[in-house]
This record gives sequence, structure tokens and C-alpha cells, in this order.
Amino acid sequence: MLQILLNGIIAGAIYALVAAGFALVYSTARFVHFAHGAIVAGGAYALFFFFERLAIGFWPAAVLAIAVAALLGWVCNELVYKPLRHRGATPLILLLAGFALLVLIESLLLLIFGADVKVIRVLPVERGMDFFGAIITPLQVVIVVVAALLLVGLHAFMSFTRLGRSLRAVASNKVVAQIRGISVEATYAKAFLLASAIAGVAGILVGMEYNLEPTMGTSLVIKGFTGAIVGGVDSVPGAILGALLLGVAENVAAWYLPSGYKDAVAFVLLFLFLLFKPNGIMGSNKGARK
Amino acid sequence: MIEAYLAHLLVLVCIYIVLAVSLQLSIGFTGLFNLGHIGFYAVGAYASALLALSGQPFWLCFLAAGVFAGLTGWLLSLPTGKLKGDYLALATLGFSFLVYAVALNWNDLTRGALGLPGIPKPELFGFAFSDTYSFLALAAVVAIASYLIVQRIASSPFGRVLGSVRDDELAARTLGKNAARTKSIALASSAFLAGLAGSLYAYYITFIDPFSFTLLELVPVLAIVVIGGLASLEGTILAAFLVVLLPEPLRFIGFPSSVIGPARQIIFALLLLAVLLYRPKGIGGKVELD
Repeated sequence: MLQILLNGIIAGAIYALVAAGFALVYSTARFVHFAHGAIVAGGAYALFFFFERLAIGFWPAAVLAIAVAALLGWVCNELVYKPLRHRGATPLILLLAGFALLVLIESLLLLIFGADVKVIRVLPVERGMDFFGAIITPLQVVIVVVAALLLVGLHAFMSFTRLGRSLRAVASNKVVAQIRGISVEATYAKAFLLASAIAGVAGILVGMEYNLEPTMGTSLVIKGFTGAIVGGVDSVPGAILGALLLGVAENVAAWYLPSGYKDAVAFVLLFLFLLFKPNGIMGSNKGARK
Repeated sequence: MIEAYLAHLLVLVCIYIVLAVSLQLSIGFTGLFNLGHIGFYAVGAYASALLALSGQPFWLCFLAAGVFAGLTGWLLSLPTGKLKGDYLALATLGFSFLVYAVALNWNDLTRGALGLPGIPKPELFGFAFSDTYSFLALAAVVAIASYLIVQRIASSPFGRVLGSVRDDELAARTLGKNAARTKSIALASSAFLAGLAGSLYAYYITFIDPFSFTLLELVPVLAIVVIGGLASLEGTILAAFLVVLLPEPLRFIGFPSSVIGPARQIIFALLLLAVLLYRPKGIGGKVELD
């Protein structure tokens, strides 16, 4: 049972990074940034390209992967979302555009890297350590620690820095923020950069722990937004909590059900929360639509 | 040879017309942003294929496909009736993933990833639609019938109720219209037609597996609806020809199939983005998405 819980937390830690970025965009710009999963995939493939193909060493490759992801998210916003917002497009059109972007980026990855599964070997495969009777590998410890540090850092950033405060200001009231001299578009652009950089880190962790497939973005964005909705989509800490819950729920379900249903768990949770608690566990009532 | 190839493309156009006009019924005419259409298509295809393999006649399998899918649509509409906009989009998207997971994992019924081979060619009044040309005639009849049915619904008094629910649900309810029931009927009818399309597909290809019903399959259908323009049936027909035929030249340039697949998706995604950005009403759209 501890092993299931532990596996759940490891998966949940990665989902939490995806969900945090997703919730960051959702809470500031108020729409479902569907392409967020593709940005995680973009980060993972960038790591593969720089680390495995060009062999420039792990740290430079990781920094470049984060930069690629951040750039990708920024480009999505500048070229697609921003012009759509200028035209007064509704959140639904932005969702549709995000869906198109997701398909576009995934197909490009498929075209460039091929359909075969890619593996990134950073740490040598080691035997897991014994942790109160459960097995955990050093890599998994790294994943949980990195995710936790990053999420705490994000929270501090949102609470104490000027940019963090302006992000929250735009999230809570766009018009008032604008009156107080905050440029809403510039804030959106920064939210995209930040969220996508976090997505890049998520991509690196996913790439090291699991295998890479071009379609991984779809499943990750689903995990991310399920986590976000379960926890409360306009609350970044809520999204993290929701993502951890999802990770645990999936691994518990995989214990009892055929493993193929593991991916369906996210949807059952998503469905239940949309129906019965659309604001999530920690979300405020303000942002939710009935 | 070239005639058979053209006939094959036209069969695909017909199947996509059935899918797209039925999606228009929910998205365009009723304003229900339904991303679960591929789920209904899958339910229809599986219902039809399983009955056909158990020796049932074509007309029964074909109708059962519609009825099963329609019932599924009606059931889905009950819990999701209150959801709006992007929440409905996510919930219905979740539904199509659930259908996919069930098709992949319910091995006793669907044979999972192995799929269902050997679906017999349809027979009606002793006439077998065994070659592409006769199948094209059948598919064309179904496509034209779906078009006429949706057109008839849209221009009927009930169609005006659908439009009023789309444009101003509160006003419709104030005038004594039962908005929840209206939406249920719209979704169920839309799903019924998608089920028929699924049956056509199963009979045409004679083999189905879960991978024919992934989220990627939704991309061309959505592209047709958005390019055609919401609530525009003529636009939808034109767009169906455009979307099916446009990527075909790729074959003649001599690209390998590993390139054609992603390249098709890239074309669809770019088309979708271009329409959203530059011509949000599509070819003949009467309403904008919101």
C-alpha cells in the first residue's frame, strides 16, 4: 500500500508541475490553454535532442530545454491567443485554438522525431532503495524534490515579487489592475513564459522517468487540467493538491482495475468534479462558471 | 484504378458529411460545444460491427448503431445539461476518452487492441454493396438523408427553439421552453447520426479497432464544422470536400506514409487556426462561437 501511495506521489509530482502552469494561465487569462501539454512534450523532446543527439551534457541541455519550452509557450500566445483576444474571441474559441495548437505541435514532433519511443538516460539505472518496505529509485527522489522545490518557489514568487503580485492582480480583476497601471497583455505574456518554463521542467522530469512519445502532450494536459479542476482551477496551490490526488487515485485504481483503465481515471475524476464541485477543493466561487 | 480511388475518397467525404452535419446540430444550431462526437461515432461503429458479426442483417445493425449512439448521447446530456462553454467541452471530451478506454480494455466484448476484423459487406433486399461504387451510392444516400434531416430540424419550429437556447437560454426558458429537454433531444439526435456514420465506417473498412476513434479523428470533423461555418449546412458540405481532398496530393508527391499522417494533421490544424484567426465565421457561418 505504501508503494502505491509512493508511486502516486511521484506521478502526482509531475502532474502538479503541469497543473501549476496550466492553472497559472487559466487564473490570469481565463481560458483553457489546451496546448500546454504539447509544451511539456516540446521540453522533453528538446532535452532528448540536446542531450542524446547533440550530447552537450545534461545541464546545458536542461537549460536549453526549459528555454525552448518557454519560447514555445510565448510563441503560442503571441501568434495565436493574442490576436484572438484582440478580436474579442470567447474562451471557447481560445480552447479550440489551443486544441489546434496541440495537434499542430504533436504532429510536428511526430514528423521530426518519428513515432518510435525515445528514451533519455541521464542517471544510470540503479536498484531502488528500500523506503519503509517500498522501493524508490534515486531518480524518483530527485523528481519529487525538484517538483516540491519548484512549487514552493512558485508560491513564494507569486506572493512576494512584483511580477507575482501583478499576475495575481490581473487574475483577480483585470479592469482594476489595468487602472492601477498594470499592462494586461504584458502580464499575460509573462504568465505564458513562466508557465511554459515550468512546463519545460516537467518535460525534463517526464523525459527522465518515462519514455517519450509524440502524443504524450495530450495525456499530460488532461492530467494537468484534471488536477487543476479537482483542486480548484483558479488556485495554484489547489491545482497542486488536485494533481497529487490524481496521481494517487490513478495508482490505486491501477491496483484494482486492468492497467489500461489508468488513463480513464483522470476523466472519471474530471467528470465528477465538473458535475458536483466545479470550483474544485480550494477554488473560489468567483472564477467558476455554472 | 483512378476511378476506384476517387470513389473511395467520395465515400470518406460522405462519412465526414454525416459526422459534420450532425456535429453542426449540436455545436452550430444548439450551441452545445460537444467534443465527444468521436465517442458517439465509436459507439455506433462498435454496436454495428458486433451485431453484424453475430449475423444480424444490415438494416438492423445500421439502425441499432444510431439508436445505441443516440441513447448514449441522451444519457450524457443528463449530467452535463447544466454545464456551459468550456466546461461542457471538457466533459464531453472526457466522455470520448472513456469510450476509447472501454473499447481498448473490454477485451471480452471488443477484443481490445486486436480490433474486430471480418465485418461483412452490407446487404439490402438481396443486393450486396460489395464494391466501392455501390458502397458510394449507399453512403451518398445516407449523407444526403442526414443533410436533409438536419436541415428539416433546423428550419422547423423546434429548430427555432434550438436557436433560442443557443442565443439566450434564459429568454427561451422565460417563454416556457424546456431548455434542458431541448438540449437533450439535440444531443441525442446529433449522436444518433454520428452512430450511423460509425456504422457506415465499420461496414466500409470491414475492420475496426480503438485507434480509429482517438482524439485525432476529431480534428478533421471539427475543422469541417469551423471552416464550413456554424449553423451553415451548405458551408459544411463544401468544407467536407475541402478537408478530405486537400491533403490527398501529398500522396502523389511520393511522401512515405509516415510523413503523410502527421502532415495531414498539420494541414487540418493550420486550416483550423487560419479560419479562427482570419475568418471566424467560416465559409457560410451564421453565428460565432461563444
